[in-house]
Amino acid sequence: MDLLTFARGPGMYWAVTIFVIGVLWKLAGVILLRAKRDLSEARKPSAWTGLRAILTRSWPRRAFVHGTAFSEVLGYAFHVGFLFTLVFYLPHVLFFEDVFKGLLGVNFQRLFGVPWPYFSGGMVNFFGAVAVAALIALLVHRIVNPVKRLISNFDDYFSWLVTIAPLVTGMLTYGHVGAPYQTLIAVHLLSVELLLVWFPFGKLMHTFTVFMSRGTQGMQFERKGATL
Amino acid sequence: MKGEAMRNDDREITLGEYLAARGVSRRAFLKFACSLASLMALPPSAGVAMAEALAKAKRPSVLWFPFQECTGCTESITRSHEPTIESMIFDMISLDYQETLMAAAGHQSEAAREQAMKDNYGKYLLLIDGSVATGLEGAYSCIGGQTNLSWLTEAAKGAAAIIAIGSCASYGGIPKANPNPTGARAVSDIVKDKPIVNIPGCPPIPAVLTGVLAHFLTFGSLPELDPLGRPKAFYGETIHDRCYRRPFYDQGRFAKTFDDEGARNGWCLYELGCKGPVTYNACATIKWNAGTSFPIQSGHGCLGCSEPDFWDKGSFYRPLSVAHWGDKATLGGAAAVGVALGAAAALAARRRQDKIVKGD
Amino acid sequence: MSASDVNTEHPLELETPRFSVKKPAVRYDKQGEVPDAERVKRAMQNFVRDFGRSAAIYMESCVHCGNCAEACHFYATTNDPKYTPIWKIEPFKQAYKREYGPFAWFYRALNLKSAVTVERLEEWQELIYDSCTVCGRCSLICPMGIDIASLVSLARHGMAKAGLVPHELWAVAERGEKEGSPLGATPKVFKDRIEWLADDYEVDIPLDKAKADVLCTMSSIEIMKYPESIVATAKIMKHVGANWTFRLDGYEATNFGLLSGNADWQRDMSMKLIDAAIACGAKTLVLPECGHAYGALRWMGANLYGKPLPFRVVHIAEFMAEHVKSGKLRLKKVGKSVTFHDPCQISRRGGAIEAPREVLAALGVELREMEPTKGLNWCCGGGGGVVTIHRADALRYKVFQLKMNQIDDTGAELPVTSCSNCRQTFDDGQAHFKWDKTMNSLLEMVAHNLEGEAA
Repeated sequence: MDLLTFARGPGMYWAVTIFVIGVLWKLAGVILLRAKRDLSEARKPSAWTGLRAILTRSWPRRAFVHGTAFSEVLGYAFHVGFLFTLVFYLPHVLFFEDVFKGLLGVNFQRLFGVPWPYFSGGMVNFFGAVAVAALIALLVHRIVNPVKRLISNFDDYFSWLVTIAPLVTGMLTYGHVGAPYQTLIAVHLLSVELLLVWFPFGKLMHTFTVFMSRGTQGMQFERKGATL
Repeated sequence: MKGEAMRNDDREITLGEYLAARGVSRRAFLKFACSLASLMALPPSAGVAMAEALAKAKRPSVLWFPFQECTGCTESITRSHEPTIESMIFDMISLDYQETLMAAAGHQSEAAREQAMKDNYGKYLLLIDGSVATGLEGAYSCIGGQTNLSWLTEAAKGAAAIIAIGSCASYGGIPKANPNPTGARAVSDIVKDKPIVNIPGCPPIPAVLTGVLAHFLTFGSLPELDPLGRPKAFYGETIHDRCYRRPFYDQGRFAKTFDDEGARNGWCLYELGCKGPVTYNACATIKWNAGTSFPIQSGHGCLGCSEPDFWDKGSFYRPLSVAHWGDKATLGGAAAVGVALGAAAALAARRRQDKIVKGD
Repeated sequence: MSASDVNTEHPLELETPRFSVKKPAVRYDKQGEVPDAERVKRAMQNFVRDFGRSAAIYMESCVHCGNCAEACHFYATTNDPKYTPIWKIEPFKQAYKREYGPFAWFYRALNLKSAVTVERLEEWQELIYDSCTVCGRCSLICPMGIDIASLVSLARHGMAKAGLVPHELWAVAERGEKEGSPLGATPKVFKDRIEWLADDYEVDIPLDKAKADVLCTMSSIEIMKYPESIVATAKIMKHVGANWTFRLDGYEATNFGLLSGNADWQRDMSMKLIDAAIACGAKTLVLPECGHAYGALRWMGANLYGKPLPFRVVHIAEFMAEHVKSGKLRLKKVGKSVTFHDPCQISRRGGAIEAPREVLAALGVELREMEPTKGLNWCCGGGGGVVTIHRADALRYKVFQLKMNQIDDTGAELPVTSCSNCRQTFDDGQAHFKWDKTMNSLLEMVAHNLEGEAA
């Protein structure tokens, strides 16, 4: 079986399967832990509004901006760039539409009335470059900044690697650079599969836990009337 | 064709004489040789050398064995609406065995074959189309009571070189598709000790065979091959890299169905499953039927037919980027497994916690 | 101060001048004669006891961005990365991943995280205690919304049970548990003080009423160092016409069980107050000017009690604000410029941000807010038990410079706060730096400006 057939076939199949098993294992394993009921008298009648912390925590308070702006801005540059390439490039869109159709049994356009938008390869490449540049800057910061250097571990560096690999290999594939196209696209798919397999076991899980931790703090603080 | 080609005495005249006898001027012949050379990315001087060599070339013995095939390759190679120089060249090899085209049949044809092999031992070219059946010791595909497999192993011994025409001969092709009931194999799976050129395609482009033969006649060797045994001159680039619709791919303009506005505007067929990016062949440049068109130009995505196992790589209409992620049932099962494992982990954690609190 | 029967290896010398110990040696304080393996075992047991869904969610979410360091006054004034807040709970997180998380089995089987050792816990003692006031700024800056401060408090549970608390903090906590007050304000001492204060100031200070609507409490810091607070409380209660009392079976609002991390002592200390309130049928329990006392009872009390409290819990600043609103607390105008230092546990962690300001508004002061203020204000550096730890003095003074600059920058005449531990920290800092500003108590300011009464 050649590399592309493997990457497009059993490689993806098992990577997605492991991804689903791992993510749900991690989430269920945390959500089903003992939750302590808070018996204190809440200051606010309902704590559910505390969930707005999920949105408000997306940017630091003014007093905190000075110390965190570098990481926040670069973090967003990476996330926006990465998401743009992932979600607005037709070859990727076709994959997600296939998943959508396979899981929900209905075509995306039929359900929502509009097709999933996508942009030209050149534009996607630009955003990919932005994401890669941001990741490199963030890695340098992680190595050079004493705080980050102290608290960083294998997970931080390996997660960085499995995140930048699909971006770089994607750009190389788009540009047909360095190897025959079949090899490039196979390597790109394999890099995505590596990311999927590593995902549940490292800090990439913050994709899901960000909602849970912000929401938890938001609700806990809301009932105390201490939301900021 | 041409029973004339079978007469022994014709084997002695050169190609140049033969063409001159049919009214092809030297100039026309030179022009042809140069265009053939440029087709193979050889310099202009090579065209002249080719013309001279071809003119003097003796017609080599060529044995064409059809194995497990559909005859499409023969159709492609010989299909011409008018006599073309290529077909004349084709005539000019001494095609000593070709079942579809030869007049003889039965014992006569067998005799012709054996004679040709004996007379030209070590020098004849073996052209194979169709895959080699190996199941039941080759019984799935026999000619005259003998298996293709035995024919191949026998004939290969005296061959100067072997040309595998079409995807079946090159890689096993459609007969090899899952579950491969006849045990179909490529020529190169059976013969290991002779130079083999693969000319894949389902069917291949006629000019490719002509070019390879011309190269052989001119230089006495086979042209430069890629890792899959294909002549680089014709299989060195992907359809995608030469496709006239490439700008649409880059701009992000794709046809979504076979008859939508995009399709009618001639937009890229990626979304309709075109395998152009991963298929090496000359379709986008040489095209078919004397440069008339090729599948993409006619509105259908490339099937990737010059690549190994193209039939087993999933639907022709599944875009390249849509890898096989599984299905609802698999993901549902995976989700259930994940939740169960997580619940088990949480339960174990709770138990541990209880034990500690109690043991306090 | 009354003698304690607590036998301590290092004598408690809270009265000795600060900085009298030159070049303190690195000290890993340990309590009890316990083998190291047993200490680790107890630490781990008590770490695991505290793991639950919220703590797990928090510990799973950290992406090592390091932003929390930017919020922490200890890091801001030293630039030492070890003070990064999430780093302070590293052994706790390590234990979580290894013993309790969804993939804990893998962590143990493949030794992806090593088991916590006693050396690691010793090394972390100063990070969990000396350099954390549980002020909660880190929790606010965290982009993932992790309540890091709460994790430090939880980590202290394990350290306390392992006997790895900085010694002075342990000693005052033990006094609190055994004598009823961390600073020697035993019931007898409290009773004595009430008597002479009532006498001296000619004010009624009810004690041990059988039934009352309002149960007032005090902190030992006030009883021993700022006894005027007792008088102030009495005056204000009288002014608003409250049916109130102190009770000797439940008056100590500080909770060094909470600060040291001894969960059992924390419960004991809170239950005294709860039982006293129930005993006198109080509808309201008023907490004094103390920061962690608010968090301890207002937010944690019911959970220790096991059911909702049958009475309201308010901070004295909230009590005053309510009565300002109802018109019962009428105040004279103070024509001075004031800046308010927000006690972390009342404001940022407690949610009572506006109450002190409503009282200041009623006092007619010109309020000049610090930068940043309210829930984002800087910590004074003395909370969380840090002010008791003498070896942390140098660090605390570095932090205090932040506060001095903040307050000086407002140009206000009077700094005011509503926590006596902050007040104590400010007094100590003022003495050390010979600063020209003295911290004031909101409670006392109100008591001095009650309309229709002498100051």
